[in-house]
Amino acid sequence: MPVEGPFILVNPDRCLGCHTCELACAAAHTDAGTVIGAVLAGERLQPRNHVVQVGSVKLSTQCRQCEDAPCVRVCPTGATYRTETYTAVDQRLCIGCRLCMMVCPFGAIHVSTATVAGRDKRAAFKCDLCVDRPGGPACVEACPTKALSLRYPREVMQQATAATAEQFLEALESQQKLASNP
Amino acid sequence: MAEKSYSDKVLSRSIDPATHEMLARAEELGLETAWDRYEAMLPQCGFGELGVCCRNCNMGPCRISPFEEEGPKAGVCGATADIIVARNLIRMIAGGAAAHSDHGRDIAHTLLLTAEGKGGGYEIKDEAKLHALAAEYGIETEGRGKEEIALDLAHAAYAEFGKQEGPIQFTRRAPEKRVSLWQGLGIDPRGIDREIVEIMHRTHIGVDNDPVHLILQGLKASVADGWGGSMIATELSDVLFGTPTPVRSVANLGVLKTDEVNIVAHGHEPTLSEMIVAAAQDPEMVALAQKYGAKGINVVGMCCTGNEILMRHGIPLAGNFLQQELAVITGAVEAIIVDVQCIMPALGALTGCFHTKFISTSPKAKFPGATHIEFHEERAFEIAKEIVRAAVENYRFRRADMVLIPDETMECVVGFSVEAIVGALGGTLDPLLDAIKGGAIKGIGAVVGCNNVKVQHDYGHVRLVEELIKQDVLVVTTGCNAIATAKAGLMLPEAAERAGEGLKGVCKALGIPPVLHMGSCVDISRILVACAAIANALGVDISDLPAAGAAPEWMSEKAVSIGSYVVSSGVFTVLGTVPQVLGSPVVTELLTQGAGDVVGATFAVEPDPFKAAQLMFDHIEEKRVALGI
Repeated sequence: MPVEGPFILVNPDRCLGCHTCELACAAAHTDAGTVIGAVLAGERLQPRNHVVQVGSVKLSTQCRQCEDAPCVRVCPTGATYRTETYTAVDQRLCIGCRLCMMVCPFGAIHVSTATVAGRDKRAAFKCDLCVDRPGGPACVEACPTKALSLRYPREVMQQATAATAEQFLEALESQQKLASNP
Repeated sequence: MAEKSYSDKVLSRSIDPATHEMLARAEELGLETAWDRYEAMLPQCGFGELGVCCRNCNMGPCRISPFEEEGPKAGVCGATADIIVARNLIRMIAGGAAAHSDHGRDIAHTLLLTAEGKGGGYEIKDEAKLHALAAEYGIETEGRGKEEIALDLAHAAYAEFGKQEGPIQFTRRAPEKRVSLWQGLGIDPRGIDREIVEIMHRTHIGVDNDPVHLILQGLKASVADGWGGSMIATELSDVLFGTPTPVRSVANLGVLKTDEVNIVAHGHEPTLSEMIVAAAQDPEMVALAQKYGAKGINVVGMCCTGNEILMRHGIPLAGNFLQQELAVITGAVEAIIVDVQCIMPALGALTGCFHTKFISTSPKAKFPGATHIEFHEERAFEIAKEIVRAAVENYRFRRADMVLIPDETMECVVGFSVEAIVGALGGTLDPLLDAIKGGAIKGIGAVVGCNNVKVQHDYGHVRLVEELIKQDVLVVTTGCNAIATAKAGLMLPEAAERAGEGLKGVCKALGIPPVLHMGSCVDISRILVACAAIANALGVDISDLPAAGAAPEWMSEKAVSIGSYVVSSGVFTVLGTVPQVLGSPVVTELLTQGAGDVVGATFAVEPDPFKAAQLMFDHIEEKRVALGI
């Protein structure tokens, strides 16, 4: 069975729109590792997620780590790739053509200025789930209201299945009781 | 005794063994401290860290994106990161200058009441200083009684707060060159309150939107603090309570006693702590304590009010800012008595876990979980007795099984007012000047400021000071740095052994420690006075002196004001924690470079105390070369 990859899920009821996740994301992807450290070192801060407002609802948006990812399919240089559990960009190979931006249904990938091997170039940025970061995704850890979580869809599905199955069994049981005690 | 061992977590939080012991005790009892709350607060908001969040109007809150190509680069009104950072920074200065200066105002008020014969137990203790200050203000002293003179002096000091056109008298203690520089820049303050009010006006939406112009107003208010409000607080406290002279005492949590009523005086204004000290010596109170089975009443200090009574009476010092909760956790404190500034509201819930009474006293400051016994100077001694009585009567509720007092204490020699330093030098500054010129003392390092959970407690303070004295830099200190260095044994004449050869020789000859305790945080004004006197003696500006400042563990708005007036006075200053300004390239550049061309001094940020010491030492060397010494 293929290994299932997780993605980051937002609970809009808890999101206050503070953008802390964006800063944590950007800081986690610098050498300094902190906002202050990066600014002091002159490192660029680039978030991979975006906090948006729809009506009165605030929420963070980011990559869903699609299994059959359009960004991977359209990439002409192989810069955008998929591993078993997530999609990512190799900025060294990226030519900044922005096709991935065009095809992403979530608006979760964008092209901006990156420093690659000491040289500034335009390249794509997207959520990589902080796979190399101990402690997991920085945005999830940083969220002050715990609006963000790392979710495994199959696990969520199994929980839902278990819950509804239980409900169904209870219903069945009560029906039998009704049948035996008319 | 066997070496106690603690978890890495406890060890990482402080370098002070008494603090380790109490942090372990807090863990054992399941009690939370500032360090735990800091951990729960992480990660702290990046916009706040950069200073780019504005809540000055209700079109906001606005925040400027630190991302290069994304997010808003201006607030709704159009304010850029530079404008927002500058506004936020000077509002911090306004807060700090207001706190120090309101302290000064309270002391002036007490002097006024005392002069009018309405002070509830205060008296004028230092007539020589009264006369000297009167002369400075042009107040007639010939054939007049001390109350008469004090009345005029109190009115004159009071007037400094409400002046519209200046000048603030004590600013004229600065070298002439410095005063003309301030005048040229338009930062010679007109009145203490006026400059603070003007900051609030200028930072209102749609007023001053030039970052450099904003910062200059911040500097102006800070000068009104250092050479105004703070200096009034120091000088008039000396008149009322006596100018400190060298005195021996002890510091750290081990000063709490198992068999006496322990009263912790915490906060800032000596008007309260002086009276608590007096009331605790009252025979009626001592007898009452004995009636309840205590051997006596043990008043100890915490934070700056602790420094005030330490400097003047040798009252033992329980600890600095981050130790306030730990004092309560000893379970041996009958009352922690507070007035204003740097008092954690957490003390309310914490004292609820012990028999300790948390007594607030200032009409300005109430706390959840505190008993409020309001202090009024007109009935000072009477109220102080009421407070001490409440503490004494609480002794019988102390639970022996909850008591754990660390053994740690350290002796210290403190009380180095400018007058005392001159006294120790034999009546003139010349021996110090000669030592500096001759190179035995390379220069002067002023190390001050708070504790901050972002720095291992006391590590920044102690390591920096140790490095400086090793390099023959004489250290003058106040506030929580003074307490940290006292606990580390650096305020003993014997600590000269830890200094470089040159400084060691001078200290031994004079019998002084290599680190001189000059008082509380308002007493940084004493350092300004010393710098001015040295500069005047050499015929140069303060910015020409081989001197540097540092605040290794700063956190408060007062510290922002202090840093600003120290730099405005011409002293290069190294900060150990990063101020909330990095979101603005213009403000950052101004503070760390541009200010050098404007006021002859800059800020630097260096969390590593060893590197910070090197920055200070390099600066001192540079100044020595420029002076040709």
